[in-house]
Amino acid sequence: MEDGEIDEGAMVVDDEDAQSAVQLKIERSAHEMLQESKASVEDTVAKILSIKKEGQPKSLVRELVTQMFLHFITLRQANRSILLEEDRVKAETERAKAPVDFTTLQLHNLMYEKNHYVKAIKACKDFRSKYPDIELVSEEEFFRDAPEDIKGKTLSKDSRHDLMLKRLHFELFQRKELCKLHEKLELQKKKLLDAIANRKKFLSSLPSHLKSLKKASLPVQNQLGVLHTKKLKQHHLAELLPPPLYVIYSEFLAQKEAFCENMDLEIVGSLKDAQAFARQQANKDTGISTNVESSRLEDDAPDEEDDGQRRRKRPKRVPSKENLDQEGLYQVHPLKTILHIYDDEVSDLKSAKLITLKFEYLLKLNAVCVGIEGSHDGSENNILCNLFPDDAGIELPHQAAKLAVGDALTFDEKRTSRPYKWAQHLAGIDFLPEMSPLLTSHGAPSGETAKSDAVISGLSLYRQQNRIQTVVQRIRSRKKAQLALVAQLDLLMKLRWPAVTCESVPWALHNPVCNLHGWSTVGHQSIQALSLPVVETEQVRESIDADMNGRSGTSKEELESAREDGELPSLVPSASVTGDVKLNRLKGSNHEHSRQLTLISKSLVPPISKTKSQSFKKPDDDLDLMLDTDSDQDGPAYIELESENTATQYYEMGEKSWVNYGAKEFCLVLTRNMDTDQRIWKLEAKVNLHILKMLPVDQENYILSHQVCYLAMLFDYFVDESSPSSEKRRGISVVDVGLSKPVSGRLLARSFRGRDRRKMISWKDTECNSGYPY
Amino acid sequence: MVLTIRGRNRHDGPAYDIKFYGHGEDTLLLSCGDDGRIRGWRWKEFTNSDVPIPLQGNQVKPVLDLANPQHKGPWGALSPIPENNSIDVNMKGGSIFSASGDSCAYCWDVETGKIKTVFKGHSDYLHCIVARNTANQVITGSEDGTARIWDCKSGKCIQVIDPAENTKLKGFFSCVSCIALDGSESWLACGRGRSLSIWNLPASECVSRISTRASVQDVLFEDNQILAVGAEPLLSRFAINGAVLSQIQCAPLSAFSVSIHPSGVTAVGGYGGLVDAISEFGSHLCTFRCKCV
Repeated sequence: MEDGEIDEGAMVVDDEDAQSAVQLKIERSAHEMLQESKASVEDTVAKILSIKKEGQPKSLVRELVTQMFLHFITLRQANRSILLEEDRVKAETERAKAPVDFTTLQLHNLMYEKNHYVKAIKACKDFRSKYPDIELVSEEEFFRDAPEDIKGKTLSKDSRHDLMLKRLHFELFQRKELCKLHEKLELQKKKLLDAIANRKKFLSSLPSHLKSLKKASLPVQNQLGVLHTKKLKQHHLAELLPPPLYVIYSEFLAQKEAFCENMDLEIVGSLKDAQAFARQQANKDTGISTNVESSRLEDDAPDEEDDGQRRRKRPKRVPSKENLDQEGLYQVHPLKTILHIYDDEVSDLKSAKLITLKFEYLLKLNAVCVGIEGSHDGSENNILCNLFPDDAGIELPHQAAKLAVGDALTFDEKRTSRPYKWAQHLAGIDFLPEMSPLLTSHGAPSGETAKSDAVISGLSLYRQQNRIQTVVQRIRSRKKAQLALVAQLDLLMKLRWPAVTCESVPWALHNPVCNLHGWSTVGHQSIQALSLPVVETEQVRESIDADMNGRSGTSKEELESAREDGELPSLVPSASVTGDVKLNRLKGSNHEHSRQLTLISKSLVPPISKTKSQSFKKPDDDLDLMLDTDSDQDGPAYIELESENTATQYYEMGEKSWVNYGAKEFCLVLTRNMDTDQRIWKLEAKVNLHILKMLPVDQENYILSHQVCYLAMLFDYFVDESSPSSEKRRGISVVDVGLSKPVSGRLLARSFRGRDRRKMISWKDTECNSGYPY
Repeated sequence: MVLTIRGRNRHDGPAYDIKFYGHGEDTLLLSCGDDGRIRGWRWKEFTNSDVPIPLQGNQVKPVLDLANPQHKGPWGALSPIPENNSIDVNMKGGSIFSASGDSCAYCWDVETGKIKTVFKGHSDYLHCIVARNTANQVITGSEDGTARIWDCKSGKCIQVIDPAENTKLKGFFSCVSCIALDGSESWLACGRGRSLSIWNLPASECVSRISTRASVQDVLFEDNQILAVGAEPLLSRFAINGAVLSQIQCAPLSAFSVSIHPSGVTAVGGYGGLVDAISEFGSHLCTFRCKCV
């Protein structure tokens, strides 16, 4: 039975992989076995001891020892199986411990991780974002304004976060844009500031630049005649002018600027004196001596550089001294207006200065005086005399002034500048004529009275219009005429043929065969003859009319023109003077003059007409040509030419024959050495009647030359009876010598024709001439 | 545009100048000549006509006929009709300018056929006329040796150009035989006798003066070069400063006229009815002779 148990136990030990139930059974069995064996051992031992004590036979103990041994073996087997079992359990335990350890490790890991996450979450939770501080645009605005690329992309799964991010992005975007804009604006601002600074700098430097420019431009201004600075000064001066001179200044200036008249205005005189005078005047007016005002006036004076110079030039000159010189009555205002008149024909760029007039104002007499600057000739040579009829400038124009002067009836003749009536008109000082036109024309027929009414109305019109233009034109033409006349007279004095430039008249081309034999001044006795008393006028006219029946028409014309004289501003008292004029005209066959007057009358009908001034003609050049009828029939033929020059030599007080004022007479002797007897013709009428018709207007100043040449030509024709020697001329204009009348038209003679320059030949009788039309 | 075209059978005597007036359909061919008439012909009628060319002159009637006025002499005598040596046109103003033998230039109104303006001032007959349309001026050259610039509006002479001033021309007559304006109408070439002077009109100054061996008879601007022909078989090309650029031999012994086609082909017409066509490179394209019709 024990063997079974061991077998059984051995079997269990071998099968280590047996089930736990089995093991438990085995273990129990091993332990039971151990218990049983121990009990058995103990029994056995007890039996042995009992045997030994009892002293029983030894055989019996043997069997008990064997049994004992057996029990020992079983014991050992049980022990061994228990140990094995233990080992096995140990290993099993060991085996089960490894996953536990692993799991524990994992757990620890996870715990750590968790802690980490918790920490991180805490840290995240504790993280303070900046965005609450950022002022974002509102959501609506964001949705409205944000660009698609910001709105469109998804930055986070969390919609709120996403939205916030987007808004922040948008904000960033916007702020960046604004920053850029800001930068740009900043830049622009800086630029503008720079520009402003630059301009400010420029502006601040500008005045000095301008000043220097102004200074530098002065010589250029002088050179070019653009006298801006001067003009300003002049304007300043003009304010100090006395009213009449101011009127003259302003009107001439206006005329100059409006019609581009070729003239210059200037105001001269001491500024200081003028200011002093103005102050004085002001004091007189107000009655209060105001030192304050005077000092103010002084302050007002422009700080002109040349003021000092001016003072340096004449440091000693004091207004009081001037006054002493000019004796109260003729006290002159310190400022004067200077008028330079230039040639109006633009022959070259710089037209020659014709004449310079000086206007001054007499304070006491309230009259404007005019003189020619730089000329100290007597009144005879003064071309301003009788610029308009009966205006020699000797008499004072106003009655008031006359009363003021008292005894001295006439203006001081020594003075070169005189109070001409036209000057008063220019200065805006209008006055009544001494006698009413009605009164003066009492002797005239009623028709004439009616006429004179028309004259007055025409005159008033005249007064309003074109005054300046007329005066300037007259002065200009007069000066030109004077220059031309002087030149012609010079030539004649030297016994040379005067040059005639106009080619449309036959005598211009005629080469005189005769010589200028003599040219001398005839004494003034002839003038006495010319100016016959008024009473004789009618008779003389009649007789002359009878003499020259061919001229009756002309004298009619003269009569009319004389009547229309009255239209001139000086208002010649018609009746009495008319006689004189007629007389002179008839006597001296002053045809040109009559023509001139006719032209005046014509042009005055439309007073605004511009052609008017052209036709104005000065009496200077009035020429009378006369041929002596009773010259010698034998010997060297000569024609005596008397040329009366109504220029300016003598003035006869008693008479109003202003037409004759300063007339000169000359005697011209033409000679030609011929043996034959000559018939002398009276050519006077023809010369005078027709010469003016044949001359173009621009030749008016050279009438003397024309007349002399024409006379020479006619002389030649009459001296030798041959046909006119004009064949050699290229242009033919034929003059009917018998009628002394030019035949209109002219044919051009030439010998070539066409671009190929073919030669023309014409023939008369047997003779061939080159050129046509012969 | 050869100078001495005899013809169109309608002018008595030689025709001196022809010009086109208008564009396209209504183009008129204007001609003038020794008989003192300016006649206008419809160019279309020539080009469309199937009548042989020599007979055309008889077929086609002039649509325009202007006769120079005669000058009145004493007692009603009339001068011969002055010849027309040159014409030019102002299309915009409807005017024809003619340089006439009576030392006047006339401005004709094409519509009315009347004289609008007479430019009077030369002392001898006129050889040539050129209209400076941009400035409304005409420039004439005369036998008296001067050229004048006239203002068409006022009919007044603005400037007298005397090519011979400051120079002495020895012998030989010296009339202004030809003038030409460049495209911008600010340069003027003026042929006078054996010299050619170039003027700048805005500055009215002579910029250069060229002496030639024979007298200049026609001159032409090509861009900024000047073509000139004269009484020698040479076509000369000058620069504005007077430098000779080229000289090409041409057929006529004495060349009266030169003209240039935009393509660069130059035609020189001259004595004997010879016309020489020269290419822009200087080679002779062809030479032909005009025959009397």
